Amino acid sequence: MGFFDSMFGRRRDRSAQVAKERLATVLVDDRYKLTPEMKEQMKLDIAEVLARYLPSVDPDQIEVTLMRGEANDHLKADIPLRRASSDM
Amino acid sequence: MARVITITSGKGGVGKTTTTANLGTALAMQGAKVAVIDADIGLRNLDVVMGLENRIVYDLVDVVEGRARLRQALIKDKRLPELCLMPAAQTRDKDAVSPQQMIELTNQLRQEFDFVLIDSPAGIEGGFRNAIAGADEVVIVTTPEVSAVRDADRIVGLVEAAEKGPPHLIVNRIKPRLVSRGEMLSVEDVLELLAINLIGIVPDDEAIVTSTNRGEAVVYDQGSLAGRAFLNVARRLGGEDVPFMAITDQQGVLEWLFGMIGRRRS
Repeated sequence: MGFFDSMFGRRRDRSAQVAKERLATVLVDDRYKLTPEMKEQMKLDIAEVLARYLPSVDPDQIEVTLMRGEANDHLKADIPLRRASSDM
Repeated sequence: MARVITITSGKGGVGKTTTTANLGTALAMQGAKVAVIDADIGLRNLDVVMGLENRIVYDLVDVVEGRARLRQALIKDKRLPELCLMPAAQTRDKDAVSPQQMIELTNQLRQEFDFVLIDSPAGIEGGFRNAIAGADEVVIVTTPEVSAVRDADRIVGLVEAAEKGPPHLIVNRIKPRLVSRGEMLSVEDVLELLAINLIGIVPDDEAIVTSTNRGEAVVYDQGSLAGRAFLNVARRLGGEDVPFMAITDQQGVLEWLFGMIGRRRS
């Protein structure tokens, strides 16, 4: 990390920000009693369902996050698709 | 109409007992009749924090089991005649009392007091269940640390499940210098995470240590920030609209800069 980065403190490096992000995840996971094992299984299941429509979903690439919102909590799934070779 | 308010936290050591003692004292200073109950059976502490440990004859379990009348177990505060303490038993455990007995006890106290404040034990088990059984409202104390905030969130869920209404939050032991450096969760961060109603912001203050050493409430120390913060919480509990103290650190940025330079040299 360079001097100016440390001078003006990249937010991602501040421990309060790290604490807040960790808590945001753990609080929702606690509330929904979602264990890491269940998350892994959920990714496999999501990949399995999507495979009926899309040929190129890798369960290991899926990121599943529960997020706390104002009125509702959200399940956010980031599912990268391998580009089909015809598009390249 | 009397109000029964339980002060709880989940995690231990975040300042429940100090908060109970100071809110009780502050409310009595403002003219209310107040009973504070130590519901931490087996780990009695509210008495020493309030400087009343030498006056205990009977305790909460004696009342519940019929060995003493309510009035006999209530200890009058040294300075404020309208403030009374119901001490916990020291030689029994939490199973000595049932939630039903706590409800009956608080209902008796409602007849004579404007406020009944209950100091809950840490944890989410029997002692906590007893402490909230008779409560109309719950105040959750937390500090800006990951463990305390996580436990506070558990308590929020349990309080909502127990249908005690939306709990109030006190964020205790804020260190403005650390917050301004981005190295401590801010009140805004904690509020965003817990999403409950804020009723108090209490800065970390050495006056708490010295006043507790003497068995005096810090609200008597008008010069202390924590004392003023607790007085404000008491006024808000009484329904007043009191603006939150600005917890700022004037020197924060400069010290942080010097801190950075110092660290680079080392």
